[in-house]
Amino acid sequence: MDEFQEILQDFLVESFELIEQLDQDLVELETRPDDLELLNRIFRVAHTVKGASSFLNFDVLTHLTHHMEDVLNRARHGELLITPSVMDVILESIDLMKALLSKIRDTSADDGVDVSGCVVRLDRCAKGGADLEVPAPKIATVDVDEAVETIEEQELENEPDYENMDADELEAEIERLLQQRQAEDKAKREHKNVGKKDTSSKTEEDDDEEEEEYHRPVSKAPVAVTPARKPASFGNDTDESDDARAASPAKKQSTVEQTIRVDVKRLDHLMNLIGELVLAKNRLIKINDDVEERYEGESFLEELNQVVSIVSIVTTDLQIAVMKTRMLPVGKVFNKFPRMIRDLSRELNKKIELEISGEETELDKSIVEEIGDPLVHIIRNSCDHGIEEPHIRAEQGKSETGTIKLKAYNEGNQIVIQIDDDGKGLDTDMLKRKSLEKGLITEKEADNMSDKEAFALIFKPGFSTAAVVTNVSGRGVGMDVVKTNIEKVNGIIDIDSEVGVGTSMKLKIPLTLAIIQALLVGVQEEHYAIPLASVLETVRISKDEVYTVEGRSVMRLREDVLSLVHIGDIFEVERILDSSEYAYVVVLGLGASKLGLIVDTLVGQEEIVIKSLGDFLKGINGIAGATIRGDGGVTLIVDVVALMDMAKHVKVSAVVDTSSNAALLTREKSKASDYTVMIVDDSKTDRTIMRKALEPLGITLVEAGDGQEALSILKQGDYNFDAMLVDIEMPRMDGYSLATEIKKYNRYKNLPLIAVTSRTGKSDRMRGVESGMVEYITKPYSADYLMSVVQRNINFKSEFIR
Amino acid sequence: MSDRLKQIIKKQSQKENEGLMHAEDVVQLVGFVIGDEEYAVPILSIQEIIKPFPWTRVPQVPKYVIGVFNMRGAVIPLIDLRLKFRLSPKKQNEETRFIVMRDGDDVAGFVIDRLTMAIRIKKSNIGPAPDTANTEETMIEGVGKQADKIITILKVKKLLQRDF
Repeated sequence: MDEFQEILQDFLVESFELIEQLDQDLVELETRPDDLELLNRIFRVAHTVKGASSFLNFDVLTHLTHHMEDVLNRARHGELLITPSVMDVILESIDLMKALLSKIRDTSADDGVDVSGCVVRLDRCAKGGADLEVPAPKIATVDVDEAVETIEEQELENEPDYENMDADELEAEIERLLQQRQAEDKAKREHKNVGKKDTSSKTEEDDDEEEEEYHRPVSKAPVAVTPARKPASFGNDTDESDDARAASPAKKQSTVEQTIRVDVKRLDHLMNLIGELVLAKNRLIKINDDVEERYEGESFLEELNQVVSIVSIVTTDLQIAVMKTRMLPVGKVFNKFPRMIRDLSRELNKKIELEISGEETELDKSIVEEIGDPLVHIIRNSCDHGIEEPHIRAEQGKSETGTIKLKAYNEGNQIVIQIDDDGKGLDTDMLKRKSLEKGLITEKEADNMSDKEAFALIFKPGFSTAAVVTNVSGRGVGMDVVKTNIEKVNGIIDIDSEVGVGTSMKLKIPLTLAIIQALLVGVQEEHYAIPLASVLETVRISKDEVYTVEGRSVMRLREDVLSLVHIGDIFEVERILDSSEYAYVVVLGLGASKLGLIVDTLVGQEEIVIKSLGDFLKGINGIAGATIRGDGGVTLIVDVVALMDMAKHVKVSAVVDTSSNAALLTREKSKASDYTVMIVDDSKTDRTIMRKALEPLGITLVEAGDGQEALSILKQGDYNFDAMLVDIEMPRMDGYSLATEIKKYNRYKNLPLIAVTSRTGKSDRMRGVESGMVEYITKPYSADYLMSVVQRNINFKSEFIR
Repeated sequence: MSDRLKQIIKKQSQKENEGLMHAEDVVQLVGFVIGDEEYAVPILSIQEIIKPFPWTRVPQVPKYVIGVFNMRGAVIPLIDLRLKFRLSPKKQNEETRFIVMRDGDDVAGFVIDRLTMAIRIKKSNIGPAPDTANTEETMIEGVGKQADKIITILKVKKLLQRDF
């Protein structure tokens, strides 16, 4: 019964919400009777309530809403004009609907409210009866007259016949009902006048009955509409004579509310603001670090540190607190399953028992909404394919009743929802065979597949193991929907199964969507954020640990072979800088599959706020979104699921580019000015001296005032330099650092760097060599000497010498 | 700023604008240069004009989408109009600006070579787009005639539309 109560509660919450909106809409409708959108909205309310109430077997309510629906449907198709008199009837019916709903809320039944009169009037509206007598506003009377109830029941029985009646018969029927109705009203009025005392005593009885109902815990939902009420106030209320009021919600208003309903939009807004705050906090921490470095040992630092850490702690707490306001118990989803299992087991002729635990585990509202469908699919699948027929189970020595266990629990920063069944389990050979038949995988793939990978085949679109398509499953949709939905909330699915013993599925879902922990990695000069939930580990490898198998890079990770892909190949990063002989591999894990992602640097772990890239850039393969970093820059977030897919199609381009770039540098020269040399010196005079010395060669000369400038000219790539003349002592960036920086670029690895300096010490020369200088010219020098050194280094062809 | 306030201000500005239009039949535009041509967009579709600052490259998009940047907490795409108009790329310089345009919920930044000025132009002086460009696909809203020159008025809606 409790489960029924849950559904009922949901129905009531929904209905009252709808009606609240309905009142406003109706008022608006009176002023704008031809507003189709409004009409549609009102129609949908009636329709929704009708659908749900028929499911819950509230016949009277269904009856009423069915007729409301008729009228509104006609109005919305323009066949009926909403005149004030029609409006009166609609309003009356809505009042009745409210009364019925209140009655249901209090007694879990909808009997005892007379709707027949209203239904007749509704019908008249629907049939286009223009001139309606405006009925007396008679709202929701709890029935005391036996006779009326019988009539109502007759009506209920008669009702389907309306469809088959012709117009005349209908008119007659309506006429008859109207007369009946009037007679009833008359009878009732008399009854009321005569038996006032009788009525009240009767009501008291009703109230007592109702009171019993009240003791039952009705509301379990966390966002409660009707908090616990005080039955005491009821019992004493003997003067209660107005029957309608007994069922009206007015009564509950005196009780204390423990919860308030808040528009989800407000919470979303709050969450966004917190997101901004987290970003600002990250930024503050970064600035604090910078300040700390610069003003080491200053006394104000300690104070600053304190403030920063307080802000940081409070922000984190605030974030958790706001996150909690959005949390719903996962039981909200779980509670519809017992009923489903019951229906399914009847349909499939199996005996299935469902055990639920951990339903109090909480999840973000948006995620709770997202996991409902996947769970339905998984559980259906378990019932249909997992649990065997009773006689087969008996033969195998299992109990005839199969068990499905549904449980939820916290695991670190994640929620795990686990679905276990003790059915026949997944047969990997069969899975592979079916996938081969359907052309989902190739022979080779099938041979190399691990068990886990084979289990994951059930998520392939178009895959189905059922021999026959049943009502329940077998269409080959469903499980891939499960995967998509779970991945949409950054969750992963883990399957374990043993033939004959059962299958266990784990859905691992992050607590919230908006703010996640991420690993920041660098490639060349770009940074990317990888959700930490999909990072298994990081390892540093040297380049010779990477092997190439069939055109793909792999490495050995302990016992396994891990396929590798360079992040730069996926995101089309231009390889300018030469990465050192070591590389970092981020091992990504997603359910059963693993992938090693090669990156240049590991930057660190950070809490990031996920921002959408907007409509213009949405759906970029491999990018899940963006985040704003402490320095105000934007960093893209890697979509691990898509990335793993992309990795399969990426070709290895990493190793070859050095040679091709070298080729670029030694491009064929056809005239003297094809040679380009950069002069880097902070002294204008020195630059001019060098220029004068080299001008006779007719080569192109580019000047830079210091190391920084030289580097940015190189980065722009407007010129193909053949050599550089570098002064050592310069502001901003000296010659040694410049040389070191330049050597980091693949493209300029072999660019001859010629030091031109007045430093003549041996250690200076040594440093020059270490930083990659090929020649060392000491000032002062003769123009001829400089020219010959340059000529030699740029392989100047003799035919160009004038 | 609350959404409500924004709405009110928007309404007011709309009203003002309408009033202006009716009174003088004048359109206000902001002019800018890309390559050798002068273009303009309605002033009301411009959210702000800013000096260039760093952006982040985005993979797997056409060349003219050069990346995304952070505008007070929002991640906004950045489009180089030179490249979009199939001109050769040019280094950004002192005169380069980002114009942030908005149409409804769509926002994007556009790199332009140089701003010219705010232009008030009579509606009667705006001609339709040339026939050759007058298809569904055109980015040209119309051609504004001024005493000494012709200005191409661009469709902001079209500029902000994803076309890849």
